Amino acid sequence: MPKLRLKRGDILRLEGLLSLQVEEGRVLISGGLYEKGSKISIPKAKSLPLEAEEDAVVDYSLGEGGHIEHLSERTIPPEWDALIRDIVDKRPRLVMVMGNVDVGKTFFTTYVANTLLRHGIRAAAVDGDVGQADIGPPSTVGVGLFERPVGLLYEIPMLSAYFVGSMSPSGHMLEFIVGMARMVERGLREAEMVIVNTPGWIFGGPARSLQLHLVELLRPDIVVALQQDKELEHLLACIPQTNVRRIPTSKSVRPRSRDERAFLRELLLGRYFNNAGRMVLDLRRVRLERCYYRTGQPIDQRSLGIREPILHAEKLPEGLLVVVKRALSQDAIRELKKRFEQVKVIEAGSERYLLVGLVDKTNELLGLGIIERIDYSRERMTVITPVRDRDRIWAVQIGSMKVKPSGKEVGVLRPGSF
Amino acid sequence: MTFEQSELQRLVEVIIDLLQRYWHDPGAIEVIQSELDKLYRKIPIYAGIQANCLSQVVVPIPTNQLQEGEEVSILLKDDAIVVGKVSKVTPSEVKLVECKQFERPRSCAEVTLPIQNIREVRLLARDVLKREWPSLDFKA
Repeated sequence: MPKLRLKRGDILRLEGLLSLQVEEGRVLISGGLYEKGSKISIPKAKSLPLEAEEDAVVDYSLGEGGHIEHLSERTIPPEWDALIRDIVDKRPRLVMVMGNVDVGKTFFTTYVANTLLRHGIRAAAVDGDVGQADIGPPSTVGVGLFERPVGLLYEIPMLSAYFVGSMSPSGHMLEFIVGMARMVERGLREAEMVIVNTPGWIFGGPARSLQLHLVELLRPDIVVALQQDKELEHLLACIPQTNVRRIPTSKSVRPRSRDERAFLRELLLGRYFNNAGRMVLDLRRVRLERCYYRTGQPIDQRSLGIREPILHAEKLPEGLLVVVKRALSQDAIRELKKRFEQVKVIEAGSERYLLVGLVDKTNELLGLGIIERIDYSRERMTVITPVRDRDRIWAVQIGSMKVKPSGKEVGVLRPGSF
Repeated sequence: MTFEQSELQRLVEVIIDLLQRYWHDPGAIEVIQSELDKLYRKIPIYAGIQANCLSQVVVPIPTNQLQEGEEVSILLKDDAIVVGKVSKVTPSEVKLVECKQFERPRSCAEVTLPIQNIREVRLLARDVLKREWPSLDFKA
């Protein structure tokens, strides 16, 4: 294995694919302390800073795209360290990190939590980046605990996750905000401090609404505004300034394209469902959440007087819900509307590939699933899921994204249609 | 309410703007309706993306930038509309194929229609808010 001899204060940029072991001395990677015998692997397309705390020797091996670069100066702005010193002194319970997409919020969170660990403070991180979740699978918000230094946020053990239902908070703002609150609550139970990584959705009415209500709900002790320029000022104008710390981004931020983000999501979801199996759930035993189906009074299909075959019918306060084998004729819909005013029609099969959350009796997320089919007459749902223990599943939370087990996104369910 | 909590309003504004600009152009309206339908079916949850995409469905373009095969709706100086696919463009003319032509709308003071010529009569209602929800019929 090739060796690097480092002098105290040397700075390197480590680009994956790369693995490294400290043979002598102490180095900081992403702010975390790595001593003699410590190992780290950096995946492809990720890069991390290394700083030699003292003279050190490291063994390394490079894989595809792997690269080590000596830098003449630190990539971490001095403002970050000043902020961390303040955090160590004041011990806030909740730190919220705001920033646009691709400004390095995830790296900042990792750097801060790793550095706090060196000061004996165990932090939890809440990951609100629903599409590119580092803690928990995509479509969830998750919370994890820093028990040891990590190079990348996804390496920390997950404590809990909450299914949002889609790859973005847009259209799922309530689920998102409930999830964030629950994850923070969970993090505060296990750690001295929680660092909340918010989504990079900062422009436009819905984004403003989400970010500012999140601040109101969580009431962070410190809001860290990670800015390249002044792109967060429109939000910060509405937050008590005593809580706000404006800091610049790291110099090593690498933006991701929309396609790259979609590809990464597919990769993560594909990996998540890689070892998934098929499971049949009895809908008379397992509750469905976040949908209209099975929330009303069942009706005998024959009493509707419709010639087309109807698999299931129920009366809701909002009107009638019917499940049909194929689309109803306009005449049949007109007939039903005369009696029920509003009619929701679910075409059997339209639920295929729908992403769902599987939760236990305490509403804790056990894992994700993909609906393969629902047998409406026998009241059975077949899901593809890595969750193994069927008896622990008490409820299925319906999302709006359709994905194949390969991770490929194949559609979106119209809200209110199921 | 302070901020919009979804992009639905922006989408409605884009639709109103498109209808105002192209109400007299059946070619444009057909494409707007079909694209809106597709967008809503594919990404019903993302009204902002629907609004962005929809505002790119009908775009005025100079004749010298037209490319063969492009679908266009052309407004003539007498207000008539021709819809079709570009087959050739020269500095002096544009040739279209697979065309549909629409007469310009005309106003008339009075018209008498024989019943046997009528296929369907459509009742047009204005101020429906006042009729259905009078308490919400605020001064705009």
